[in-house]
Amino acid sequence: MNQESTQQTRCSANQGTLPSCAPLAVPYVPFQQTGSAKYSAQEALSQGTLFPGLDLPFHLMTDGAEVPKTPLTELQALCFVVTELGLYLDTHKNDQEAFRLFQKYAAMEQTARASYEEQYGPLQQTSAAANECYTWLCEPWPWNGQQEAE
Amino acid sequence: MFIYDKKLEYPVKIRNSNPRLASVIISQYGGPDGEMSASLRYLSQRYAMPYPELEGLLTDIGTEELAHLEIVASIVHQLTRDLTDEQVEKSPFATYFVDHTAGIYPTTASGFPWSAAFIGVKGDVICDLTEDMAADAASL
Repeated sequence: MNQESTQQTRCSANQGTLPSCAPLAVPYVPFQQTGSAKYSAQEALSQGTLFPGLDLPFHLMTDGAEVPKTPLTELQALCFVVTELGLYLDTHKNDQEAFRLFQKYAAMEQTARASYEEQYGPLQQTSAAANECYTWLCEPWPWNGQQEAE
Repeated sequence: MFIYDKKLEYPVKIRNSNPRLASVIISQYGGPDGEMSASLRYLSQRYAMPYPELEGLLTDIGTEELAHLEIVASIVHQLTRDLTDEQVEKSPFATYFVDHTAGIYPTTASGFPWSAAFIGVKGDVICDLTEDMAADAASL
């Protein structure tokens, strides 16, 4: 699983590495390199990926719609970066630079989440315990499209 | 186990009903290349994986696909709440509506209910990962 051998040539952002002398009759996927270029949080949420190299949109849409900035979309953008870095670290667990970025974004997400919950109510059921009464059931529920109206 | 976060992963805010569009988008919910197939495929394959990288990866991707499932359902919900009879009757959504009204039901656009036959779980790491690559390519 470990592809971190010394690389003589650095591939571009949308390329990865393949094993040399690979066993026959098995499909391979190019392995994403460490130190890949990354989008900002808002850009990542709009494009649907943290990595420009993995930004491979369906042919009809070359650019993701820009997401309007609200407290909720800022939290969603931070959560998305944490999710994306987590997926990357699942297969690149020794990438210390990526891990430090993961720690940084996880901390920002935690702060943004606490601030959001204080103003708008619980995001997880257990968070309702912090309020004076059981606020978990309060509108809006996420599928109604009303959360961004705040 | 699973914990629910009371927000969508990506915002959905649709103002205008469009049952015609909904009758197609429902396939991304319950169709062969939709999010229900994706989530159950990854979450079912993870148990037989021989490496922790893969147990983690399939768990994490499967979890995110459930978030996508919720987004697609939100889209269909917002496209089909508050429909008049005339709007329904004049659209391809009529056949879905007669059995499900404004409920979100896992089905293909052609009306075939979601089926585990849409996914493959062989318990073999190369087979399952190859299935995953084919499935994600299809969903593009």
